Amino acid sequence: MDEDTATREEWVRRFHPARIVEHWVHVLFFATLVCTGLSQRFYTLDVSQWFIIQLGGIDSVRIIHRFAGVLFSLAVITHISVAVVGIVYRKWQPTMVITKKDFTDAVHNIRYYLGLEIAPAEEGRYTYKQKFEYWAIFTGVLIMMATGFILWFPVTITKFLPGETIPAAEVLHANEALVVFLIISIWHIYNAIFSPEVFPLDTCIFTGCLSKERMLQEHSLEFTKQEEAPPDVTSMAE
Amino acid sequence: MCKRREAVHTGVSVEEEKRRVSFALFLLTACLLFAGVASAGIGDLSVEAQACLSCHARSGTRVTFQSNEFIEVYVDPDAFKASVHHALLCSQCHPDFAEGQHPRRLFRSKLQYQIKAALVCTRCHSNEQITTKGIHAALLSEARKGTAMICTNCHGSHSIRRVTETLKFTSEEEYCMKCHGHVMQVTFRNGETLSATVNISVLQTSVHSKLSCSDCHYGFSSEEHPKRNFGTMRDYTLALSEICRRCHFDKYTKTLESIHYTMLSQGDMQAPVCIDCHGAHAISHIGRERALIARRCQKCHGDIYAVYAKSVHGSALFDENNQDVPVCTDCHTAHKIENPLSQSFQEQIPDMCGNCHANEAIVGKYGLSRAVLDSYLSDFHGITLKFYRMQKDKLNRPARPMAVCTDCHGTHNIMSTMEPNATINIKANLVKRCRKCHANASENFPDSWLSHYEPSITRTPLVFLVTLVFKIFIPFLVVGLVLQIMLHIWRFVANR
Repeated sequence: MDEDTATREEWVRRFHPARIVEHWVHVLFFATLVCTGLSQRFYTLDVSQWFIIQLGGIDSVRIIHRFAGVLFSLAVITHISVAVVGIVYRKWQPTMVITKKDFTDAVHNIRYYLGLEIAPAEEGRYTYKQKFEYWAIFTGVLIMMATGFILWFPVTITKFLPGETIPAAEVLHANEALVVFLIISIWHIYNAIFSPEVFPLDTCIFTGCLSKERMLQEHSLEFTKQEEAPPDVTSMAE
Repeated sequence: MCKRREAVHTGVSVEEEKRRVSFALFLLTACLLFAGVASAGIGDLSVEAQACLSCHARSGTRVTFQSNEFIEVYVDPDAFKASVHHALLCSQCHPDFAEGQHPRRLFRSKLQYQIKAALVCTRCHSNEQITTKGIHAALLSEARKGTAMICTNCHGSHSIRRVTETLKFTSEEEYCMKCHGHVMQVTFRNGETLSATVNISVLQTSVHSKLSCSDCHYGFSSEEHPKRNFGTMRDYTLALSEICRRCHFDKYTKTLESIHYTMLSQGDMQAPVCIDCHGAHAISHIGRERALIARRCQKCHGDIYAVYAKSVHGSALFDENNQDVPVCTDCHTAHKIENPLSQSFQEQIPDMCGNCHANEAIVGKYGLSRAVLDSYLSDFHGITLKFYRMQKDKLNRPARPMAVCTDCHGTHNIMSTMEPNATINIKANLVKRCRKCHANASENFPDSWLSHYEPSITRTPLVFLVTLVFKIFIPFLVVGLVLQIMLHIWRFVANR
């Protein structure tokens, strides 16, 4: 690579601006839900109590949490609708769906890390890491939505379901929240900020673009595909 | 009591006494003839008195009664001169005796003599005159029942002065008990009467045994006995209860916040004050016998007492004399008795129950779980309550009541949860209670509360399994992710 190309990097468009806005919306509501939710779950901690008092008491925190939950749910429903409409009517490629290749890629990459393979696996539009993360968060969010609804309307729910549903939903909601929070705070934050390849920040989701160099390294199959056929920007649903 | 020697010559049995009588008669005549030369100390007295004193001013002369008791017939001339009766003739009080007349009389005992001698007083001081003083009225009523009234016991004889000057007391109690040891009563304007008799032995076994009367009854002393005018007995009780705060100010300030004081200040004069619960002279250490505390409250709260007595706590207290169970004051406190319907009182209930039910030393004895408090506090209602209490001073307090222990278990009627029908009764009670806040709650709804039990595979399998799965999954997830990250970094470093 000569000096000229190194300074003027070439960028590949990866995300539609709507995806950038969607990511910000998710960040905002997710952060609100984490703060108001975890402070309720770990209510004995001084910092939780301080936070709850600052927000105007436990009742206010619960109301904020519920409405943030409703808005987040709407965002998630919008996300699903867009994906379904895109895939069914606009013939988008369901690139986020986990295939057999993702499992073999995972094994391949671990072998690569351990020095048993020469090069990492060649990935498509989304890497196996991104796919597993996406679906873990996605199922987590669906569970949170369902159990959150149960906890909001316990009287209505117990008209149809046994009383035990409520405490079960409570432990499920609390634990699944922790799982989602841990995945985001450990895995997602590492990959987006602290990973040596992207440090100090992977700007891809904020600009919608990725450098050709990284595209070639991380999404080589997708890059080759794009080189063959010019990309359709609207197809980048996920 | 200081007894003045009687100068009266009574029936004598000794030969020497006879001789002295003859000698006295002789001297009496002699003195009448030579009045002017009588000794200077008796010079201001009547001629008759001077004549009598020529013998009776000498000490050492005795009169002995049939019971072998004796009195000295000595009269102190100076004391007699200082008395209110110094102008009287001896014969005015000793009517059997006169010039040339000194009969010999026979008395069985000293008491019989004293009774007879005291009768003389009533010749001038009629019963009507003396009954204006409560103590005389009391003594007269005792006299009608057969206990003789002996004026000289209090007032002395020849040295008659005010009682307070005559009698010598070693303590204030002794002084006061001189009158208040007798049956006596105070009458209020509305006609109610109150016994003013004090049982000294009761007082001495009370917690206040070391205090003097005027420590409480200030304004009263050997000099002063103000006459006060109370409309009713209740007015008197209310006024006297004010005394207690002079020493027990801490308790007094607590009562100012109590529902009883609020009622009193709103005009309910029957609201209890110190004396109503603690009594007056018989004040004992409260709490030695816990059943007594409950009985004190029973005086006014009889209906609640009856319910309490049947409860798991009350029956253990009264039937088994169990001292571990709570009595009224353990929850309601003794002095700062709050309105139990207030929200702030409700919010303290988990603490009240927790005082014993979270204490292994107490509940362990009865096979009860200590976890009941924590399981409540870590549930929705408990957490909310905790925050409501925390928010109390910082934010507008939510007016919403939270379910506490008593909402499910009852208050005064708490039953054992180990009884055969308990589970059914509690569940029925629960649905009713839930519906107070959660309108339209179904029969299933109370099951959403795990009844203080830790989730278990048999009791609540769903909750137990979900908890278990995450207990395994979360550490697995964290370790897996961290391992991946570390491998990734390691590869990156190795490639460079």
